[in-house]
Amino acid sequence: MFRGAAGAIMTTIAAAWMKPLDALPLAGPASADPESEVLRLFADHGSSLFRFCRMTLGGADEAEDIVQETFLKLLQHLRAGGDRANLKSWLFTVAANGCRDRLRARRRWLPWQAELDQRTVEAPDEEPDRRLASAAARGLPPRDLLLISLRAQGLSYRDIGIAAGIQEGSVGRLLARAVDRWKRRLDEAQRTHKL
Amino acid sequence: MDCLSDAELQAVVDNEADAASRAHVAGCARCRARADARREQMTVIAAMANADVPPALETRVRDAIAAGGPARGSTALRPSAPRGWSQANPWVSALAAAAIVGLIVFTGLPRFGAPATLSASEILGRSLQTLSGARGIEQLDFELAFTGFSGPHRIQQLVDHEHPNRYKVADFGPDGVLQSAFSEDSLTGRRSHLVRVDGRNYIIELSSVQAPPFSLPQLAQAQVETVIGMMQATSDQKLTTIDTPHGKQYVIQIPPVTPAAKGASTVDLYDARVVIDGADFGIRELEASGAMFKQPYHLSFRLIRRSTRQPADAGAAAFTIPASPGDVVLTGDATNDPVSDVLGTVLRELGRLKGD
Repeated sequence: MFRGAAGAIMTTIAAAWMKPLDALPLAGPASADPESEVLRLFADHGSSLFRFCRMTLGGADEAEDIVQETFLKLLQHLRAGGDRANLKSWLFTVAANGCRDRLRARRRWLPWQAELDQRTVEAPDEEPDRRLASAAARGLPPRDLLLISLRAQGLSYRDIGIAAGIQEGSVGRLLARAVDRWKRRLDEAQRTHKL
Repeated sequence: MDCLSDAELQAVVDNEADAASRAHVAGCARCRARADARREQMTVIAAMANADVPPALETRVRDAIAAGGPARGSTALRPSAPRGWSQANPWVSALAAAAIVGLIVFTGLPRFGAPATLSASEILGRSLQTLSGARGIEQLDFELAFTGFSGPHRIQQLVDHEHPNRYKVADFGPDGVLQSAFSEDSLTGRRSHLVRVDGRNYIIELSSVQAPPFSLPQLAQAQVETVIGMMQATSDQKLTTIDTPHGKQYVIQIPPVTPAAKGASTVDLYDARVVIDGADFGIRELEASGAMFKQPYHLSFRLIRRSTRQPADAGAAAFTIPASPGDVVLTGDATNDPVSDVLGTVLRELGRLKGD
């Protein structure tokens, strides 16, 4: 269904998908100045972090906000001499928490403002099938969407477990269920149930 | 080795499986096919997750790092409402939600011209008059966020203003899938409920319906009239006139009121903002918070589309809920208690199945 349209980008995605996290560049030596290190980590992970947030939140503007907040927190973390082991996982954990907070805030009442309304905003160049797939994902329970979004950025089960706050041994089972639920929702949406 | 579970198969697709699982897939045609299907799903998910990264993002993060604080983004959330609203009694929430669904009646047919100057109170008064002036069959699509609802809902409503108790309301989730529906037709004496559970629609069709004294929209209308009446009675409403591509609109806001420390009244309004069309005095947007039956509520309503037609253009089928393949349909006779009707029909079916 998506092979034709997304073929060009699949190679790039697949490369990141298959790459074990341990092989990806992590933080440099502790002596590097925090600002430079943050910018280097942004160059390495900023794009995938943005895509993760965008998929989770459904809108680019809020995703940008979360990415910025995440890297500012990273700066504070490094300045405070925080742990530098596996900073990619750290980044996704902080971003996932930020997304979770935003989603919770949405469930509370907010005065209606067009600029706050992410529900009807869709990328103008998004294909109908992809839009349907995205809509099906956004209708998932928050944890399902989180797991799928993290895996879509190539995180290993170990790092998904850390970012989502679940046991590594449970990731496969929960992820499989999430994918099944997403597929069911997609199938239903494609049937276009009408009154 | 037995065929792999879904979780084991997922691990194979994600390159997280052990050697035994990988070997099994290599030698088992069934599991290989399942793995291929799951791999294809993950490919679709990966494609869905791919998005262009805004070129300005790097600049924004660089600026924020240099400044040591957040750079101004395109989104700024307003302060959140107090927590705890979602604990409201679900039945009360449902009643209040029904009231909001009734907002559609604000978008009745134009009856009054718009004079050059009007006070906020006069505009609200004309909205109330418009409320009772709707004629024909009216269809409305609107978005609704409400306390206790799981998320924003898109509501589609059809009301026959010429025949009381003849209407249909359908609720679609954020993904566009129908979640629930309710219809009643006083001309045919039929009432239908649709509930979606675990991906399947259950439709309960009831016949011999005796029309209640008030329909759901009528009850809702009475409650909405109360709210608008309270807005009208407020002495210091703020009125703003705005010009939009769709014509002039009135924005009326009442000043926020701090909820009483010792419990709410039966009906209280703490804060409200309404956008009224300058041409027909129908409501286009409404935001409100308050208490109903001593339970707090918040709502946000936005009209998407409205159309009207003559009663002759809508047959009985328009006020039924048609079943699709795979739907479960239960039938029964109605009483004067809709809740008991549904429960009774379901329990009878359950008993019949047990008896089989």
